[in-house]
Amino acid sequence: MGSWFFEEKDKIGILTLDKPGTDVNVLTTESLTEFKDQHLAKIAARIDLEALMIRSAKSRIFVAGADINEIAGITTEKDAFEKAEQGKAVFQKLEDLKIPTVCVINGACLGGGYELALACTYRVAAFSDNVKIGLPEANLGILPGFGGSIRLPRLLGLTKALPMILAGRVVSAKDALKVGMVDRLFPAGSLDADALAFTRQAVQKKIRPKKRTKDFMTGFLEDNPLGRSLVFSRAREDVAQKAKHFYPAPYEIIKLIEKTYGRVSPRAYRLESEHFARLGTTGVSKNLIKLFFMSEKYKKVAWTKLAVKTPPVKKCGVIGAGVMGGGIAQLVSAKNIPVRVKDINEGALGGALREAQQIYQGALKRRKITGYEMARKMNLISVGLTPEGLQRCDVIIEAVVEDLGIKQKVFKDLDERASAGTILASNTSSLSVTKMAAVTQNPGRVIGLHFFNPVHRMPLVEIIRAEQTSEETIDRMVQFARLLGKTVIVVQDAPGFLVNRLLLPYMNEAAYLLETGMGPEQIDRLVENFGMPMGPVELADQVGIDVGVKVAHILQDAFGARMRVADILEDVKQKGLLGKKSGKGFYLHQGKKKTVNPEVKTGTHPAKVSEEDALKRMIYIMINEAARCLEEGVVDSPETVDMGMVMGTGFPPFRAGLLHYADQTGLQNIVTDLERFAATVDRERFQPSPYLLKLAKENRKFYS
Amino acid sequence: MKRIAVVNGVRTPFIKAWTLFNDIPAQTLGGMCVQELLQRTEIDPALVDQVIMGCVGQPIDAANVARIIALYGGIPKDKKAYTVNRNCASGFEAVTSAVEKINIGQDEVIIAGGAESMSNAPLTFSKPAAELFMELSRAKTLGARLGVFSRFRLKHFQPVAALQLALTDPACGLNMGQTAEVLAKKFAISRERQDAFALESHKRVAAAREKLREEMMTVFLPPKYEQAVKDDNGVRENQSPEQLAKLKPVFDRHSGTVTAGNSSQITDGACALLLMEESKAKAMGYTILGTIRAYEYSGLEPSEMGLGPAFAIEKVLRKSGLTLKDIQLFELNEAFAVQILACIEAMASAKFAAENYPGGKPLGELDPALLNVNGGGIALGHPVGVSGARLVLTCLKEMKRRNLNLGIASLCVGGGQGGALILERS
Repeated sequence: MGSWFFEEKDKIGILTLDKPGTDVNVLTTESLTEFKDQHLAKIAARIDLEALMIRSAKSRIFVAGADINEIAGITTEKDAFEKAEQGKAVFQKLEDLKIPTVCVINGACLGGGYELALACTYRVAAFSDNVKIGLPEANLGILPGFGGSIRLPRLLGLTKALPMILAGRVVSAKDALKVGMVDRLFPAGSLDADALAFTRQAVQKKIRPKKRTKDFMTGFLEDNPLGRSLVFSRAREDVAQKAKHFYPAPYEIIKLIEKTYGRVSPRAYRLESEHFARLGTTGVSKNLIKLFFMSEKYKKVAWTKLAVKTPPVKKCGVIGAGVMGGGIAQLVSAKNIPVRVKDINEGALGGALREAQQIYQGALKRRKITGYEMARKMNLISVGLTPEGLQRCDVIIEAVVEDLGIKQKVFKDLDERASAGTILASNTSSLSVTKMAAVTQNPGRVIGLHFFNPVHRMPLVEIIRAEQTSEETIDRMVQFARLLGKTVIVVQDAPGFLVNRLLLPYMNEAAYLLETGMGPEQIDRLVENFGMPMGPVELADQVGIDVGVKVAHILQDAFGARMRVADILEDVKQKGLLGKKSGKGFYLHQGKKKTVNPEVKTGTHPAKVSEEDALKRMIYIMINEAARCLEEGVVDSPETVDMGMVMGTGFPPFRAGLLHYADQTGLQNIVTDLERFAATVDRERFQPSPYLLKLAKENRKFYS
Repeated sequence: MKRIAVVNGVRTPFIKAWTLFNDIPAQTLGGMCVQELLQRTEIDPALVDQVIMGCVGQPIDAANVARIIALYGGIPKDKKAYTVNRNCASGFEAVTSAVEKINIGQDEVIIAGGAESMSNAPLTFSKPAAELFMELSRAKTLGARLGVFSRFRLKHFQPVAALQLALTDPACGLNMGQTAEVLAKKFAISRERQDAFALESHKRVAAAREKLREEMMTVFLPPKYEQAVKDDNGVRENQSPEQLAKLKPVFDRHSGTVTAGNSSQITDGACALLLMEESKAKAMGYTILGTIRAYEYSGLEPSEMGLGPAFAIEKVLRKSGLTLKDIQLFELNEAFAVQILACIEAMASAKFAAENYPGGKPLGELDPALLNVNGGGIALGHPVGVSGARLVLTCLKEMKRRNLNLGIASLCVGGGQGGALILERS
């Protein structure tokens, strides 16, 4: 059965894409071939046809893009080159039609989908939130290979098109019209009829393709070699800053457009295929695609076996107006949910409001919200010193100091006060939620909801299933966290849960490396070169040394000698060097600048460690611990570990997560190194876990 | 008539105009007040059918400011809201409109109150200036623009203060202070008596700080949110009679007695009350503040608008079959000291009664010890659209403290009206 359906209305051909058996249209080799051979060929031969419209039969999607599975399956450059050539040959046929062609965009029109649209004479779209338009290929480590890298710059001009392709930016219908990616917008309800009328006008030449008018500056930058070289060098600087050297795609995109901008020869398209081929087989691209699939999957994972949907959260309470509590309140209000914040300290309440206001102010500056929206959202945050306003909350999130006794007191009080349907959540980063639940009458409604700092930026929420947490509670919080725009992983209630259980040993190991005499900057640079957004020493300063040491001790108490807190951490804490918040930690912080703090005595246990080994020690210790988490059932799958690490710690996306990285490194190699460290550095810390040993011995991977 | 309850209420501190709340528009003041009321009453906002707000100087960027207040306050979009303006009695009007809506069964649960930012009253241009600006915006060519420019004169740039205009009664041409002077002369109320009354108002508020906090929310001042405002700031704690006596009369420089010291202040603030039928409130488990037993408005000579309460109180007592003696607590808005003193005299005067009351009999002496026991507008300020709602809240809270049964809240209204509510606890 085919995907394309042709009909005719008064000499106007209408070609509808309706991939059978799914509600998503994607472009496969098969559907492209069908498009070309069965339809374009015929249409080209019909001299009576006056115009062609291309539309989708799916309700929310025009074409979501080329089939990513096919891209993932590419193994050789030749293969990749041919795929790109085939696709663009089809679109070339479309562009070569002598009659006006109109692409009717009713929903998502991404990647290959928009490349199809670009090959049409006109593009019209619906006034609809479903409409999302762009070329996001760069996010998958590749570039638009069906002519998009050539045609978009031609349509929009270099200064507008280049940043869009580099960032893989996807825009709304309104913005697409504003920049010129579509020619017209029509109401969704009358899109087909209005598009048909538009097409008729095009046939009658009452409408012609728009000529771009440029202001002087744009003209200067685009129309002469000097201006263009300026644009490209600025783009290179920008990319170097954002993507560092880890991501080859932006560099290839710049190179390609530099060579092809302003040229119309078929050679330009061939070059595009060549550059595409270079990227299509890179490990980076493969990993980014893996990550893409994972994050799509984790938007939907059910996490419970509940058949009925739990009701949405309509009101939220927060106890504790510190950095986390304030951040959570802001995030909740941003989604138009009223939130009541309680604290015992009036200054903290004002601080929470200030935090929220500053975040909104930033959004206002970037034109993400309007002043009116900001006023309204700010008003949704109310604060108080008393428990007034908590009774009717659907969920109350506790974000007081990390002290089990205090938290238990809060939970006992909330349990007595809140109505029966209220979920009681803790934002603890490592304490036992089960122990908090134990002081309540109804432990089924107690759950861990671990947000990361800064709350509005960090994309992960770690949900902790305590021993008696009910399925309803979990489901409702999963939906809630997703509503807040977060990626969710659900983990068992074990000390440190997942993220901190892996992250703390890694930071601890960095501390041990400091003791051997390595400098903070050296360690941070090593890890940043690996792709982490921030080195472990700087991270410790950011988090706060006291906070870090506290969590480290919780882990040491739970897991014993293998998590023994490095002396240097204690030492630094004792000296009152608490990190960024006190201006001094391992670094001296002055505004955004930081220099190594000479007060910190490193090299207390001198040893010679190669940089390679240093990095391995920090990363492998996490892999080893992740294997234990899997073995103990703290997490359900290696994917959950990887989602948690990428979203929660910024583990390099181009490595597709910690355990993908482990698999790609080879588990046997890791075991060998761990055993070497166990023999030479510390048996307790590096002893490979039984599960890791087993996998390595059986020559298996985490992902099998 | 149904028994309609005021479940609870909350107000912002009353803040002298152009001070702490200078940058907070009325919609935000009202919004935070409604939001706080929702929290304190723990009511599901989806149950609130209507929001009615009094506002005299509606912000020009928030037409039907009650609707904006409702949305800012966290009331769902599908609920209704409208703004009322009965000048100084707008806060009353919001409450009595709510009573009427509930009475006829149109709405069940209403938030009524007021919001006023007198700090943000706009400056406007005169009509000729506005016309020139309009022409300028229509002029297409540079020449035409220059042509319009050449017709501008310095006087066109003289702004008109909307606040000034709002406080002037176009019917009699007097501003509010001048109407107060009319009463001072008519009832021969001396400067000394007025100042003494004003002094007492400040003293009472200063002594009642803790009590007043019960009806107030804390407002954190944007954009830094470092300062937590939890008290009214119009009160002059250490004011002496000498200081008051030094002030010059504002409205009649030569023979006047009304000064800034014995008049109410220009103030920003908001207040919100939750109203529903008493039986419903009980069914929902609320302990209510009290009910509204009766209310009346009354018209009178605009140039004597300050006598409004003397008319309205007579009317509402007559309607409900009560006498002045039955009332245990009075909360009268102190627009001007002289105006309150005049009302007390009028109510006790046989001559006034013969001329103005249908029965011809005076109401009797109002015991000053029962009047504005926690001070009033002279010390607290008079955010015009809010005061009515504030009087109801303050009166009910004090009735509760003293365990009283009947109280009256009343005020005079610019333009020549009076309003009075009988509040009842049972």
